[in-house]
Amino acid sequence: MLDNYRNKFIPLILPICIILIWYLITEGTGMVNPYILPGPITVCQSAWSLILSGKLLTNTLDTLYKVFGGLILASIVAIPLGILLGWYKTLEDIATLVISVLRPIPPVAWIPFSILWFGIGMFPAVFIIFMGCVFPILVYTIDGVKRTDKVLIESAQTLGASDWNVLKRVILPSAVPYVVSGLKVGIGIALMCTISAEMVGSSSGLGYMILTATSLFDPGTTVVGMLDIGLIGIIFDFVFTKAQDRIFW
Amino acid sequence: MSIEIKNINKSFKSKKTDQLSVLENINLTIEDGELVCLLGPSGCGKTTLLRLIAGLDQPTSGEIVANGEVVKKPSGDRAVIFQQYSLFPWLTVLQNVTFGLEMTKKGSKEENIAAAERYLTSVGLIDFKDSYPHELSGGMKQRVAIIRSLLNHSPILLMDEPFSALDMQNRHKLQAQLIGVWKRFENTIVFVTHDVDEAVYLADKIVILDKNPGRIANIVDVDIERPRKRESEEFIALQETIVKDLDMGD
Repeated sequence: MLDNYRNKFIPLILPICIILIWYLITEGTGMVNPYILPGPITVCQSAWSLILSGKLLTNTLDTLYKVFGGLILASIVAIPLGILLGWYKTLEDIATLVISVLRPIPPVAWIPFSILWFGIGMFPAVFIIFMGCVFPILVYTIDGVKRTDKVLIESAQTLGASDWNVLKRVILPSAVPYVVSGLKVGIGIALMCTISAEMVGSSSGLGYMILTATSLFDPGTTVVGMLDIGLIGIIFDFVFTKAQDRIFW
Repeated sequence: MSIEIKNINKSFKSKKTDQLSVLENINLTIEDGELVCLLGPSGCGKTTLLRLIAGLDQPTSGEIVANGEVVKKPSGDRAVIFQQYSLFPWLTVLQNVTFGLEMTKKGSKEENIAAAERYLTSVGLIDFKDSYPHELSGGMKQRVAIIRSLLNHSPILLMDEPFSALDMQNRHKLQAQLIGVWKRFENTIVFVTHDVDEAVYLADKIVILDKNPGRIANIVDVDIERPRKRESEEFIALQETIVKDLDMGD
């Protein structure tokens, strides 16, 4: 019981210290100018007014729409393609060079083209997110398919399974943990891409909110936006970790 | 279902030499309902031979005929029970056991579940029907794997040292259970082992393989009446003869 409290309390020590120091050097002593770094009370006030005006919610939802849009599109492309490439060695050999060249390109490098092709608004952001998550999901899926235990495939075959059933009943379930890992990595990248994309070619979302607030001399809002992104990240991480726990094979 | 192995040669490409011959000129007939043990030291190609019979690999030359048909690819008629655990980890015991029936579309869902439950009861695993493989012990996993093949009515069971990872007590128990189901279902069984005791306990016929390259050194008919007693004189005598036989090969 005591241990339990201890384990819950320990992770809180550092954040509390940081907030205290943060308060001391800003609002506490006035050492740092509020335009350089706003204090925690200012940030709370900004958060409160953003919540009351509904801006925080609309911008958060706006960002989440883009994240999910890009992620779902990337999954629709990457998961079936990954299964194909993982299963047919020849196809993988054909595709491998293209994938290796495109994969290391940072998703934000696609921003110029995304604006050229899709203009301003939702679509360029979704495209950048798509480019950011499609490769991790693809690579993880290929890996998952290839790592299917040979003994399980052969067992299924000697139990009378057709090639289609081997794929559907053995390879797919066996690849699920890898695909989930790919999605977990993908969503982290998606979140980063969204913010960058919104800072350039967008007029809504958390990235837009963060950037415009700074130029409007409202650094409190910037910090709120940043913390909001961190919070979304934690929630996603928690959900995916729970999902991974449920997949026990 | 009988199995005829005709002039089988199998070689693999290796880095050191051009071709590594694993099996050379294997000729063997396995009668319908016979329990044959392939016995030999590691590296004699006994597992390779089993995989050829299963259709999981193809011979370099020669052919294997099972029930009048040349073996070209794996089929539900020839179930393999592997040395490694081979249950599907994402399926429960019951779902694992009915997997083959679903694949071959034998029977309705209700019939299959009823049959599976009957089989699981007969080996004392009914309480584990909703468990997942990782919750079972090694011996239980192999029993489920055997039930999975039996329920599929595979006329031929190909077993690749399925009990080698178990402790002696469990191994003996499963060997006795295997004889029980074999008598009941009259399958043809090809059982690979390196354990002389296991071969003498189980087999109608022991095929002793030699290594480098793998070929048949001797075929021993086992006429000891079942249930066989390990401490009986004839059991011990046959065991000794075979051990001597194996030693000469080295």
